[in-house]
Amino acid sequence: MVSEGGVSAPTSIAITGLGSFFGRRLAQRLLELPRPPKIVGIDLRRPWRLEGRIGFHRVDLGDPAAGGKLAEVLVRERVERVVHAAFRRDPTPDVEADHELETVGSIHVMNACAAAKVDHLVWLSSTMLYGARPDNPNFLGEEHPLRGHADAHCVRNRVEAEELLARFRVKHRDLHVSALRFAWVMGPEFEDRVVRHFASPVVTTLLGYDPLVQFVHEEDALDVLERCVLEDHPGTYNVVGPGVLPLSTLLALGGKRALPLPTPLLYRLEHWLSQSRYGDLPAGFYDYLRWLFVADGARGWDRFGEPVYSSREAWISFVSSRRMRRYR
Amino acid sequence: MSEPSQSGPSRPEEDPGIGQERDDVQRALDQFRREVRARLLERRAPEAGSGLDWEDLFESARRRLSTIGMVERSAEVDEFGMDDVVIAKWNRLFDALADRWWRIDVEGLDPGSPPLPSLFVANASGLLPWDGIMLAHKIARARPDAPRPRFLVADWLVTQPFAQPTLAGIGGVRACRENAERLLRSGRSVVSFPEGLKGSAKVFRERYRLRRFGRGGAVRIALALGVPLVPVAVIGAEETHPVLFKVGSLARLVGLPFLPVTPTFPWLGPLGLVPLPSRWRMRFGAPLDFGPHGPEAADDEILVDRLTVELRSSIQRMIDEAVRTRDSVFA
Repeated sequence: MVSEGGVSAPTSIAITGLGSFFGRRLAQRLLELPRPPKIVGIDLRRPWRLEGRIGFHRVDLGDPAAGGKLAEVLVRERVERVVHAAFRRDPTPDVEADHELETVGSIHVMNACAAAKVDHLVWLSSTMLYGARPDNPNFLGEEHPLRGHADAHCVRNRVEAEELLARFRVKHRDLHVSALRFAWVMGPEFEDRVVRHFASPVVTTLLGYDPLVQFVHEEDALDVLERCVLEDHPGTYNVVGPGVLPLSTLLALGGKRALPLPTPLLYRLEHWLSQSRYGDLPAGFYDYLRWLFVADGARGWDRFGEPVYSSREAWISFVSSRRMRRYR
Repeated sequence: MSEPSQSGPSRPEEDPGIGQERDDVQRALDQFRREVRARLLERRAPEAGSGLDWEDLFESARRRLSTIGMVERSAEVDEFGMDDVVIAKWNRLFDALADRWWRIDVEGLDPGSPPLPSLFVANASGLLPWDGIMLAHKIARARPDAPRPRFLVADWLVTQPFAQPTLAGIGGVRACRENAERLLRSGRSVVSFPEGLKGSAKVFRERYRLRRFGRGGAVRIALALGVPLVPVAVIGAEETHPVLFKVGSLARLVGLPFLPVTPTFPWLGPLGLVPLPSRWRMRFGAPLDFGPHGPEAADDEILVDRLTVELRSSIQRMIDEAVRTRDSVFA
């Protein structure tokens, strides 16, 4: 099998964070290929229902010696490509452990890739890293600085990791890096804090704010990820669904009630709850429902084709699948 | 339904006997349907007879509830959040404001004269972006074939709660270079006010004196994209909210850059924000074509500064002339 760039499809692929949604679903997709590559899973827990079909290595990326261990695994398994998906789905109150995993763990992955002479590193990222700011332009290009959010420690960690990645790219020019910045992922299966927030029938919003929101469907996100793994697409891409919708329209479309609360009240009400659950102040999440952080997906659409689901269709797919689940 | 609706797959060589048979079946079926319907109506009749039909009422209330909020907006907005349903709703108010409240005279806006898309540059005036709304509205009315122009709104206003969703719905866009360039590239005209906050926050005695034109962003965009730049003078909008003086310290508490004091504003509460019915004039100057300079001239700081100063003084001349020739503020 020869891909677009004339590079033959990789025969051995490592996935860090195999247990994450993207890690697991990517492994399943790759196993369904006519000639599946060898998959090396790296995680803390043995993945469910993938035993025997993939190689699994238990490496704790929070361990200070993880870089060496990972490099050893990559060399032994003759890995050609690495997919780095070991990021927190939800922030946890253990802020330090999150930092160890997301920032320091990412450094270990980069170092291991360089040491094991891997061809290609695919890096999962998020448009949340641009940060929701009142002074954002309506569409953020891939070159826009990653400003993150001061109160969201997971976003902060990943911004830091991506700054290190930028330096890594300059240093290791022969190692191709694809960074995929996903918008908020919606779909029947994906779940994270954002999805849980939107899943409830009454959704808390900020009184007087109605930002334009953008989603990407999980299958579209996986399509792009799979192509990046099998083909050669170096660079940074925003992976977003076309179109934007105001938050209020989304809720009306989904038949959900909005509970608009005044910003100062909401930030005080949620103060302790949010810190005990996510380790962040409420602003770390609710600012994303207050200001714009819509990414410009044109570069990704040119490269990978227009996604199947627009933002609106991704949202409807999510809402209707949740509704089905309730009646099951 | 147990009865077959057709007597079999239709054959080309069918004889009239089968056609006759099919007609009979069809008739019997119609009869059956009528009976079923009649019986259903019979069963519902007593309920409807006993005063209120609660079931219907409940059903209609439920339907109304489920579509609440959807009647005022369309399910799709454009990429900057402009909503055609909202525009259509507000257009009547805008027409009334333009034609009856402010009685706007428009000069220099012909069906073909400023080529669209162009970058309209006007003097900022008045506290609220009424001038931007009216300019965009008048251009849209004069040129219904072109996409509706968008007006740029200064940061301080676009980030205020409630202002942000409203302004986005009627075509307001946060003023920044990326947004203006994206709009113009996609063929939509842009109405900009390079003075920014300094311009709209002028006190009354400084009215119609143009401030510095930002850092030349408007000229830079026109140069880079090769779009025509149309200078516009808006006269009369300064008198909609005559700011007597500004209070700074109190404003910071509520997150505003300043708190204006007008003859009406804090005293009458929100009612004081109703703009005064001054008479407006909009003068569209001849479009400036920066094409000969080429797009790389956008990086020539000296040229950008020179063109910006020229642009500013040409708008100032248009304003001065119009202010001199007007008889009265309100008539």
